[in-house]
Amino acid sequence: MNHKELISAISTKMNAPKAVVEKLLETTISTCTELLVDEKTIGFQSFGNFEVRKKMERLSVHPATQIRTLIPPKLVVNFKQSNILKDKLKDLSKNE
Amino acid sequence: MNKEKISSQEIIDLIASKALISKRAAEEFIKMMIATIEEALLAGDIVKIKNFGTFKLQWNEHRKSVNVQTGEEIILDGYHKVTFIPEASLKDLVNEPFAHLEPVQLDDENNFVISEKHEIEVLDPLRIFTEQASEIKDILSEIQALSVSSKPVALEEQIKDQEQTGIEFELSKKNEPIILDKEKVIEQAIEPTEIISEEPVLIEQEETQIISELTDDKIETSSFLENAKSKNRKIWFSVLIILLLLAGTGSGLYFLYPPAKDFTDSTYLKSKKTILKMSEGVSITDMLNTISSWVTPETKQTPIPETIFIPKDTSAMDSVTEKPQIDSLQYLFDNPRIYREYLGSERINPGSRLTIISKRYYGNKIFWVYIYEANKDHIPNPDNIPVGTLIRIPKVDSKLIDSTNPRCIQKAKELHDIYVE
Repeated sequence: MNHKELISAISTKMNAPKAVVEKLLETTISTCTELLVDEKTIGFQSFGNFEVRKKMERLSVHPATQIRTLIPPKLVVNFKQSNILKDKLKDLSKNE
Repeated sequence: MNKEKISSQEIIDLIASKALISKRAAEEFIKMMIATIEEALLAGDIVKIKNFGTFKLQWNEHRKSVNVQTGEEIILDGYHKVTFIPEASLKDLVNEPFAHLEPVQLDDENNFVISEKHEIEVLDPLRIFTEQASEIKDILSEIQALSVSSKPVALEEQIKDQEQTGIEFELSKKNEPIILDKEKVIEQAIEPTEIISEEPVLIEQEETQIISELTDDKIETSSFLENAKSKNRKIWFSVLIILLLLAGTGSGLYFLYPPAKDFTDSTYLKSKKTILKMSEGVSITDMLNTISSWVTPETKQTPIPETIFIPKDTSAMDSVTEKPQIDSLQYLFDNPRIYREYLGSERINPGSRLTIISKRYYGNKIFWVYIYEANKDHIPNPDNIPVGTLIRIPKVDSKLIDSTNPRCIQKAKELHDIYVE
């Protein structure tokens, strides 16, 4: 399901025009991005948490050439599903 | 790090105020959005959201585990997990604070850290000396093995000499050619590598050390003639220590810097001959003087700049040979850039980086080299710009800072390598 399909799916559910949904989705995403850039955790109830984690710098050794490289630290976005979603997914695996 | 958590309600409020809709409508939308994503995921589909990321289902296999309390094995069921892969744009935005950092390759051969930090370079001589400790050990064992075989002959000769003639000079002559040979090698090995100003001092120190230790030896030998054998052992031991010290430091540098190796190999034989000639009828002090006179002029002759700047020259040559065709872009690359127009100026704050400024003005951090070029006259070290320095951001030809053109990136990287030495 890509961006367009998602918009059309939401619009049919909400009985709202696609243009409105698209705009709303855009605002949602930009808001989330801004919050994440501020290194804040976003919690969507019943869905999960978006969180920024810091990966520490590390020394990697190329296994073949033995070249050692210092990898700098970085910030990454991490998503952790909520327990509610996890339970739903459990049912899915049982059904299979 | 601000780890504040934004709840669903808060984000709904934020969206409502941004999109100028009622909170209820925003809440409705968020719920619908999540429900739709969930449904798609439960159907085994992946959900892509533009400028944000991709949600995917991942199947984690069941695995064995141990109950911590009872110690019995249990099997954890496999389960589905929702993974989120952020898009590159989101990744970059989030990683903004560390965006200017780049992986640094550490050179394994001589443990020399090609780092952007100046402090590490300062510490390098220390590291080299610690490395030499192990090498000294190796050489120690080698020399001991050698000295065992040569010992008896040398001892007999020395005893005879002591009985017959002036004792001290002869003995020292016997010892000295060996020392001097070694010393010569070592000093020559040091020469091309050490910094010029420190060099004479270092060598002089070594020489004085040798003189003092030699004189000690002489006193010992003359006063305790009866116990020649045991003393000789002592002498040999002390001579060995001196040799080891010198050979250790010398060989450390000798092995680390290949140019030194070639240089010494050629001059080694010459020096050996001259020492053998000189050793007849010359006092120790005279000999040492002559050694120092050999050493000092050679330090001046050693081609230090050549060895250092060779990599630079070759890289420059490579860049020329790689791109033989000359077009307008190549013309821009080859000609020295003159900066007359400026987009603005920036004051360096703690934490400011030329790379960050470059990213803001030119869209890519690699083009920091052009900012540096324009401000070269008042930035001595691009890695350490004093806080408060006002730097001017030059207007660079847009063709030169085209992030999509690999040749521009290549050129900037070459310049980067030249400036970050």
